[in-house]
Amino acid sequence: MGARHCLSHLGGRNDCGQNMSTNTTAAPRRAFANIDLRAVAPFFALAVLFLLGALVNTNFLGIDNLLNVLTRSAFIAIIAIGATFVISAGGLDLSVGSMAAFVAGTMILFMNTGTVTGDYALLGVAMLIALGIGGLCGLANGLMTTLGRIEPFIVTLGTMGIFRALTIYLAEGGSIPMKSQALRAAYRPVYFGSVAGVPIPVIVILVVAAIGAFILYRTRFGRHVMAVGSNEDVARYSGVSVNRVRTMTYVIQGICVAIAVLVYVPRLGAATPTTGLLWELQAITAVVIGGTALRGGVGRIWGTVCGALILELVGNIMVLSDLVSEYLIGAVQGAIIIIAMLIQRSLARR
Amino acid sequence: MSDMLVPLLEARQISRSFGPVEVLKGIDLSLRSGEVHAIIGENGAGKSTFMKILSGHLSPTSGSLAMGGAEVTFRGPVDAESRGIVLVHQEILLAPDLTVAQNIFLGREVRNGLTLDDRFMSAKAHEAVLGLGADIDPNTVVNRLSIAQRQLVQIARALAVPHSVVIFDEPTASLTTTETDALLKVIAGIRDKGAAVLYISHRLPEVKTIADRVTVLRDGRRVGTYDASELDAGDMARLMVGRDVNKLYPDRAQTAEQDIVLDVKNASVPGYVRDASFALRRAEILGFGGLVGAGRTELMEGVLGLRSASASVTLHGRPVHFRSVKDSMAAGIVYLSEDRKGKGLLLGQNLTINLTLAGLNRFVRGFLIDKSHEKQALDQAFTDFDIRTGNREMNAGQLSGGNQQKLLLAKMMLLQPDIVVIDEPTRGIDIGTKEQIYRFIAELAHSGKSVIVISSEMPELIGICDRIIVMRNGEIAGEVAGERMNEDDIVMLATGANQLTQLSA
Amino acid sequence: MRKLVIGLAAAAMASAFGMAHAQDKSVTMAVSIPAADHGWTGGVVYHAEQAKTKLEARYPGLKIILKTSPDGASQANALEDLTTQGINALVTLPHNSDELTDPIRQVKDKGVFVTVVDRALSDPKIQDLYVAGNNFELGRVAGQYIKDTLKSGDVVVIRGLPIVIDEERQKGFDEGIKGSEIKVLDRQFGNWSRDDAFKVMQDYLSKHQKIDAVWCQDDDMAVGVLEAIQQAKRTDIKFVVGGAGMKDMIKKVADGDAMIPVDVLYPPSMIATAMELTAANFYDQLPVRGSFTLDATLVTKDNASEYYFPDSPF
Repeated sequence: MGARHCLSHLGGRNDCGQNMSTNTTAAPRRAFANIDLRAVAPFFALAVLFLLGALVNTNFLGIDNLLNVLTRSAFIAIIAIGATFVISAGGLDLSVGSMAAFVAGTMILFMNTGTVTGDYALLGVAMLIALGIGGLCGLANGLMTTLGRIEPFIVTLGTMGIFRALTIYLAEGGSIPMKSQALRAAYRPVYFGSVAGVPIPVIVILVVAAIGAFILYRTRFGRHVMAVGSNEDVARYSGVSVNRVRTMTYVIQGICVAIAVLVYVPRLGAATPTTGLLWELQAITAVVIGGTALRGGVGRIWGTVCGALILELVGNIMVLSDLVSEYLIGAVQGAIIIIAMLIQRSLARR
Repeated sequence: MSDMLVPLLEARQISRSFGPVEVLKGIDLSLRSGEVHAIIGENGAGKSTFMKILSGHLSPTSGSLAMGGAEVTFRGPVDAESRGIVLVHQEILLAPDLTVAQNIFLGREVRNGLTLDDRFMSAKAHEAVLGLGADIDPNTVVNRLSIAQRQLVQIARALAVPHSVVIFDEPTASLTTTETDALLKVIAGIRDKGAAVLYISHRLPEVKTIADRVTVLRDGRRVGTYDASELDAGDMARLMVGRDVNKLYPDRAQTAEQDIVLDVKNASVPGYVRDASFALRRAEILGFGGLVGAGRTELMEGVLGLRSASASVTLHGRPVHFRSVKDSMAAGIVYLSEDRKGKGLLLGQNLTINLTLAGLNRFVRGFLIDKSHEKQALDQAFTDFDIRTGNREMNAGQLSGGNQQKLLLAKMMLLQPDIVVIDEPTRGIDIGTKEQIYRFIAELAHSGKSVIVISSEMPELIGICDRIIVMRNGEIAGEVAGERMNEDDIVMLATGANQLTQLSA
Repeated sequence: MRKLVIGLAAAAMASAFGMAHAQDKSVTMAVSIPAADHGWTGGVVYHAEQAKTKLEARYPGLKIILKTSPDGASQANALEDLTTQGINALVTLPHNSDELTDPIRQVKDKGVFVTVVDRALSDPKIQDLYVAGNNFELGRVAGQYIKDTLKSGDVVVIRGLPIVIDEERQKGFDEGIKGSEIKVLDRQFGNWSRDDAFKVMQDYLSKHQKIDAVWCQDDDMAVGVLEAIQQAKRTDIKFVVGGAGMKDMIKKVADGDAMIPVDVLYPPSMIATAMELTAANFYDQLPVRGSFTLDATLVTKDNASEYYFPDSPF
């Protein structure tokens, strides 16, 4: 209790700060463990879930099942990597689910026009267009929060409605399916195919996460993201272009959404009004489970990927188990997520 | 007067450890009714820990407390408060959007049946602030008050419960001289009503003025308790530091050269500064004095692109316009904010990230941040600026105030600036570190760089500056140099007293 | 296809030759329906718009105000707004029965003719006319088909969302397979979403080595189910039964797709039926009252072309 009180007064320039310093100085081993554990905690929670899954159903550890789960966690994982940037910089994006539907819809509509000849050329152009639209959607969010000085919660709540409504409008209330079966067949392997036994969406997760980690941890921009999220004023007084950094995080988020869409569309070949429904909450949950602080200043890319896996595994274990009535699954899922967070936080506090 | 001799509150052999580190070792102290008892010591001496034990925020590892001769154990701050021990925090802990009356009665609202009796509370609150010698409308929202007024409201809130011991933790840290004087009168008033006052401060002249007795702590031990009349400020400093510190300010020859490096004309910052002009010479230390709120910080922030302002600025003879602080940094000017915790350092990030944040460009190779280069820079900063901590993985927020200031200096010096603007360079810093900072500022000037120092501590300005510009109400009130660099002249400029009839010579 | 269940003034439909001068009578009909948030409601909006055009052309005095709402609360507000515009009739497909019963009661108290579609109100006295599909029948017909086709075997079920519609369909299904050797291996919620149904089906396929047939509560989810089966390359699944009558599924039935041999109707066009009946009440001088339930018709290869609307979004 004493130490906690001390922490709350760290803002004060009193002896307590000094005490803390001598404290940590005297116990470097503990400080070291501190840092390590916090990053490792989500992986520990994941391991516990694996154990649980294996106990619940022997089919859980089957290669096919695990690959299924890994593969379908791709959408949330990729979007959540983008969300890690936004949240680390102290922002929030609620529009990602609707944005995914909108990007998917426009991408399919473009493919249906068939303006480019050759299936692969058409696919390539469509992908570029999707990435461009995603980036632009993110840019819109970013500019409205920074230049418009509106809380990101409000801006992205607004664009969430806008993107969703635009999608439904484009779909005229129904779904937007890929019309050309040949194109569908050509595109299908992007979700269902694999390279050396590793499903392509899993490779995409790894590549996006690696690039994300590189940007966040090793580049100047990433450092600026952390600084802006830690304390906007300090960043500004240190010569960081706060608005530009913030805006860029939303653009990255938009591009990540588009990448997720590139993997999503070949799965069912359509965008529907339910595409991306509640993905924003799942993405934010994955980010937080992964150890990124919602208040900003800390970002953990690999933790986020782990968080997305945890979310998807929980659902999988629930369906595979016969323990719970289907009516109670939501409650159990909620409880497991909270327990995962408790494990994570209590490890981090040690 | 026998009650004078039975201590109101007594500490008996108090010790306290955090983990393996013992920060207080066998402290004895007795507080008598009707005395102001000062506790002084450097940062890290254990003052705040001791104060937290006395006010029930912490429990001692060993030793005991006694009130009126009987041993007591505090279950928490609320328990201590119910026994008449109140603590006035150093930070302002008020709800900024509530009114003065609402703050004073927060958590102990008076009800009139089911509804709040606002009229009664307003009247009582007004009475309470009047009792402290200030006339603040109790219905004013707190965030519209000055820092000094907020401090008074905070004191009024603390004193609103029956109290026999009042503990002040560095109450004057963010107050100007006049405001400090007013506060000291308030404290004397509390004492005269029979309470015991425990007064914790860095500012030794203040302690000399107000205290009846002084207890000195050093490295967690009690050096001794003295009658204040026995000691002067120099003695106190010596007892605190354990060595001679009579030379707080460095000897320095006037290094200022004739050529002007920075020339600011007609600077205006909407709402803060009107039409201010000044010039800074090469290798000069230029002071900016004045009361808190005179517009000194805003003037500098305006000139350097940190807030919107209009000014014609000439740098090294060329007209410049800084649209953002990035521009002024690129031009070789750095600004160290007075608000180290809010604007200077990322408290939640480690020392390396803080050190290289402003000068990150120097650490980027291709796309990558060169982490080993960063590590070298941190090592270098530890040596150059004498940052004292064993653990380099800690967060900036865990550093003491003095080490934070050193880190901030190191961070900004990485940009290799020609002009350094330091706002309140020693606020909240113990005397040993102050000396180092003054020496560092002098070295900057010696090496040909120009320095602007904004400070509310006049001795500091007089001690290190070549010239002092004094601001009042958003305008430049005048300038003092040489013979006229003394407290009287500065105060007169700062308060405008020279324009009034001199009341008493 | 349409069966009158109780108390409908049967002649209403037949009275197109009503008195000609009545066609110019000025009547305002408000239509309050959910926004197109998934395929089926998308179909509702489409059919409502079609019916509006058609009816306004047929009855020159008729003005139809169409209003969609994204959730129950905004639908309640929309009802208030519509009432203040002075309406004679209200045709509404409420988001949910409990929440909207009172707002609709207030409309009724103003003397407005109220037609409720699909979701019955908690107090049936409010509605003058009730037009609905038959959820219980949708489940029962699907169950019956599986029972008749398979005789015995293992079936998995993907439910919608835990609301009344889902419960009724589920009960009907259980009723349909009663007394057979059909065993339900698993039932989970797929939230009427293709994506969620895809996941649930993937998990079923991991969990159960042999599945003979799948029943999912609507055609949207059937899309995800088919994709998951195709990915797993499983051949044990003989067919999938969906429901509602989505055009893609109807087409598969018509084309003789072995995986989708049948579909069970729950047509979004019921909104159009409700609007037509309501208009008839005003213009054809024959009171239309009571309850009108649409059959859950089993669509097979033989009759599929009757139910195929290529222009509808659903």
